[in-house]
Amino acid sequence: MPAEFIRILIGLVAVAVSVGLIGLVMVWVERKVAGHIQRRPGPYEVGPNGVLQPLADALKLVGKQLFMPDGADPILYWLAPVLSFIPVLLLFLPLPVGDGLMALDINLGLLLILAFAGLTVLSLLLGGWASNTKYCLLGAARAVAQSVAYEIPLLLSVLAVSFVAGSLNLAEVVKGQGTWPWNWNIMTQPLAFLIYIVSALGETNRAPFDLPEAESELTAGFHTEYSGMGFGLFFLAEYANMVVVCSVATALFLGGWQGPVLPGPVWFVLKVSLLMLLMVFFRWTYPRVRFDQLLTINWKWLMPLAVLNLLATSFFVKLAQFTEVRW
Amino acid sequence: MDALLKGLPLTYLAACDYRKTGKNWQAILPASSLVAAAQRLFKAGYFLEDIGALDCVEGYVVTYHFAPFETAGRVAIRAIAPHAKPVLPSIAHVFHGAEWHERETRDFHGVVFEGNPNLVPLLMDPDMADCFPLRKDEKARARMRDILEIGEVRFCAPGFDLMTPEAPAEAAAKPAGDAATA
Amino acid sequence: MLQNAYPDQIAGDFYTENFAKKAAEGSLILNLGPQHPSTHGVLRVVVELDGEYILRAEPVLGYLHRMHEKMAEVKTAAQFIPNMGRVDYGQALGWNWAFVGAVEKLGGIEVPERAEYVRVITSELNRIASHLLWWGAYLLDLGAFTPIMYAFDDREKILDILQIPTGSRLTYSYFRIGGVASDLNEDCVRRIREFIPWMRSRLPMYKDLVSDNIILRKRIEGIGVIEPDVCQRYGATGPVARGSGIACDLRKTEDYSVFRKLDFIAPTSELKDARGRYDVRMIEMEQSLNIIEQCLDMMPEGEVLVKGAPKPSWKAPKGESYFAVEGARGKIGVHLVSDGGKNLYRCKLRAPGYCNLSLFAEVSQGTILADAVAILGSLDLIIPEIDR
Repeated sequence: MPAEFIRILIGLVAVAVSVGLIGLVMVWVERKVAGHIQRRPGPYEVGPNGVLQPLADALKLVGKQLFMPDGADPILYWLAPVLSFIPVLLLFLPLPVGDGLMALDINLGLLLILAFAGLTVLSLLLGGWASNTKYCLLGAARAVAQSVAYEIPLLLSVLAVSFVAGSLNLAEVVKGQGTWPWNWNIMTQPLAFLIYIVSALGETNRAPFDLPEAESELTAGFHTEYSGMGFGLFFLAEYANMVVVCSVATALFLGGWQGPVLPGPVWFVLKVSLLMLLMVFFRWTYPRVRFDQLLTINWKWLMPLAVLNLLATSFFVKLAQFTEVRW
Repeated sequence: MDALLKGLPLTYLAACDYRKTGKNWQAILPASSLVAAAQRLFKAGYFLEDIGALDCVEGYVVTYHFAPFETAGRVAIRAIAPHAKPVLPSIAHVFHGAEWHERETRDFHGVVFEGNPNLVPLLMDPDMADCFPLRKDEKARARMRDILEIGEVRFCAPGFDLMTPEAPAEAAAKPAGDAATA
Repeated sequence: MLQNAYPDQIAGDFYTENFAKKAAEGSLILNLGPQHPSTHGVLRVVVELDGEYILRAEPVLGYLHRMHEKMAEVKTAAQFIPNMGRVDYGQALGWNWAFVGAVEKLGGIEVPERAEYVRVITSELNRIASHLLWWGAYLLDLGAFTPIMYAFDDREKILDILQIPTGSRLTYSYFRIGGVASDLNEDCVRRIREFIPWMRSRLPMYKDLVSDNIILRKRIEGIGVIEPDVCQRYGATGPVARGSGIACDLRKTEDYSVFRKLDFIAPTSELKDARGRYDVRMIEMEQSLNIIEQCLDMMPEGEVLVKGAPKPSWKAPKGESYFAVEGARGKIGVHLVSDGGKNLYRCKLRAPGYCNLSLFAEVSQGTILADAVAILGSLDLIIPEIDR
């Protein structure tokens, strides 16, 4: 048992370090990509090609005064950013980066991720509510409605895959897929993949679904009042969440660490980066949808499609079991 | 325009040179017939361009500029609000856009429009609501007949000589029967 | 709920209190602005919300009020021209023109023909710059971050061109009573000629990448329908009225300058919604390019400032005049009254944005907060012009 604890502890430390690193790298990548999309160079002053810019930003954020509006609830107000960040660390534990390279090898890994991912919305709600500001409140209300709605198709699309794999352990799911792209789950579950990506954008509050922090409507939504690291933690959590949803997508649909020639972890990181780049592209090229449209997409399109997909998948899984045909 | 304002109590009506001053008609109305005139102009398809007051010796000359959308032309409707009690009826329920123009005129000249749904300061700070920046000193005020275009007079109410040029013989010669008072 | 949690703190200022008097039970009073990302400067809109639905809205103005009309009364007419560059930073030349035109009417001053062409060319360039500014900022309101960078790229070229004859980039005071300050030199004409095909190649790209985007279409189609009678009641002009199907372009209806000789269309749209206004502005950019091209071909040689043009100490003769031009946002009108003295007796500025904004309270009723932002943006507001 102690060995297991030590393993988790080492995993946690590694995860905490890598989340911080990934956050910094992602900020740089996003700003650089956004810059080139917008025909400007992006950050280039601090360090070669501006690679140290996020570090400078982080230093600035740390050095800033922590501010709380009058009439805010101090406990909840400061709890919210911490609460948004801590569960994200746990989300990384059951992620298989390579063969056997995961901090916590449990057979309910997928469930753990989905359960803790659900906690994020609580922090948004707390942050918005405790700020005692109208914009924050509206942002929090949007965040809750959005997260609750988008969790369902997300869950259903993930379930379809685990039906096929017959396991909730991410490593098992990855092992069920092959080396080549045509062996991956995206081939058998393209609809589930689409639903997953769209819901993941909604779940992580990324554009075009960044309604809770829509700055042209709600200034900054739920985190309007946060300064310094209070904001920094929300910010970091957003990027960490992006990494998590992209990693899960990689493991479930894109064959995880599997790939020809290159070692497993390299493939994993490559695939995750590709998906994250996709999310960055979405953000800088699309306008924002309206709130009711966002919910319409979810309840009228994603949800029925996800249910149908799940039903069809379970039908075929059963059929396969009866006829004992592997597919 | 004669036909449009027919039957309304008028004080003064004149045709103007559009190319020279940018309006084809000007009319001076008693305050009581402002709303009726606005209603008729609304029915005729005119829209309200602006409302601006002019601080003259005779009082605040409030000018309403109306123009049609798809053709050239402009009508200036004027009403005189005396300095002592500058009150005019509001036309904000006919032309809803007039609400802001009237509030602005109240801010700048202190002309009060009765019936305006929300006559609070618009451009001026509420703390400065009683400071009217465009009011002029007594001696700086000009007379209407000196600064406004006289035009080709079509009607002038008996006894109204504010728009009559200095040499009174000229204006008296004009016939005053084109548009009839009710 | 929230608004009652700390009543002593949330009382608000004069306008909030005045607005809250009529508030319904349980509704939320929210101040959009004066510092708010989607109000482009310092417009403030007090809204009463039921959830995200707007029950009532009231724009609060005056945060950028500079009392230009008073300044006009303490300066001579010629000295007031720089003020006109500062009324509207989007299309400063439109205001230049309206004021100068009114003074010319007052003084009976004829403008040389070449100056008329120069005025048309520069103000149409300025119109394109203004529409590009609107386009980028509007999409920013709708959550698309990138188009504004492309729009500013193009706008930068226009500013570079206009810098040559006018000497400034934003707040032009280029027009003079009786002409313009300087002629377009060869370099400037060459650059304008280069700019026209460049801009023509950009507009189809904007259509493909942005105008036809499904998310954008869903955001602006059917949003903020303004019926023609609303335009009439509030005096809306320009692209707002044309987007509602009213053919009210002064360049067509009024016979001013050389527009009668030029071949162009004043686009209207029967859609009446934000999409209609969007389309009208996009087509107007193309049409402005046509106008500029024709003007460059037709422009005669000659003076650009009339001989014996008024000096700064020039006294406007007694009388009054009203002159209006078609600005990027609608009818820019200047009403001048002079008593023959050193300074003008009265100068009344009719700002198109002022009238266009006044219909917002009616149109935004019952819409969602996000739609209100889309409507506000589609009116193309420049706050300095509204507050004057």
